[in-house]
Amino acid sequence: MRWWKKVALKKSPWVFHVNAGACNNCDIEIVDCITPRFDVERFGVKLVGSPRHADALLVTGVVTEQVTPRLQEVYRQTAKPCVVFAIGACACDRGIFTPGYHVAGPVDKVIREIDPNAIIAYVPGCPPKPEAIISGIVKALKAL
Amino acid sequence: MTYEQLKEKINSISDKLIKVEQTSPKRLYLLCESENAYKVNRFVFEDLKARFVVATGIDSDNCYEIIYHFSYDQLGTFLNVKAFIRDRNNPHIESITPFIPGAEWTEREIHDILGVEFKNHPNMKKLILADNWPDGKHPIKKDYEYKKLK
Repeated sequence: MRWWKKVALKKSPWVFHVNAGACNNCDIEIVDCITPRFDVERFGVKLVGSPRHADALLVTGVVTEQVTPRLQEVYRQTAKPCVVFAIGACACDRGIFTPGYHVAGPVDKVIREIDPNAIIAYVPGCPPKPEAIISGIVKALKAL
Repeated sequence: MTYEQLKEKINSISDKLIKVEQTSPKRLYLLCESENAYKVNRFVFEDLKARFVVATGIDSDNCYEIIYHFSYDQLGTFLNVKAFIRDRNNPHIESITPFIPGAEWTEREIHDILGVEFKNHPNMKKLILADNWPDGKHPIKKDYEYKKLK
């Protein structure tokens, strides 16, 4: 990765939130992150409305069969380089939905089907605390 | 209407029922075969003026059971019409959507995941399964093979 791309990615990561079949708990915690109590916008982390404006995807939930092509399309439309965050136990490794009939796979498997070199970070927890999400984002950006 | 009057009214269609079962003070089960379910439902909805709540489907031991839950608000009682579908190879039952439009989605969902055919349903499309889901597979059936845990 070019150095200036890395700087642009790490300085102020704009995130796009994808619900790929979550129960809404992880989504609530993500929204919690941008409330005044945690206020990640002071670090430049901003929720945006389109994957084309985003540097990172926050994917919550086990990826269902129906949402698989949509999630892959969202990943394709995200400007590269980008980081994919799998938020929550289901997104990391399907959790209690492992034997479910509607489950396509964890987030990393579905994303790697179209991009084997995707950068994926995991934030486990059911749901992860806002502190854990912030810590995960910081650690992932430091490791780049 | 008192409870006794309600039971008397139900007795007027006793030829369509297998039996009437009272499992608790607030719950009456009307057991019937699938061929009579349409008429029993129509009686409960239009003559008794009970309110349709939801329908559930069960893959039971040797038959399918569709239970139509009606709420009889005057007495605070539930009237549950339990229809037995004995034909396991080609399960079918008359749809109640023509006279209760609110039953459309719950019948579509039962059709999706249990494979029960609802005759005369006006809009029998897929509701909750994925678009690429193969036809003829119904995940809530007991013979459906789930993925093995590794």
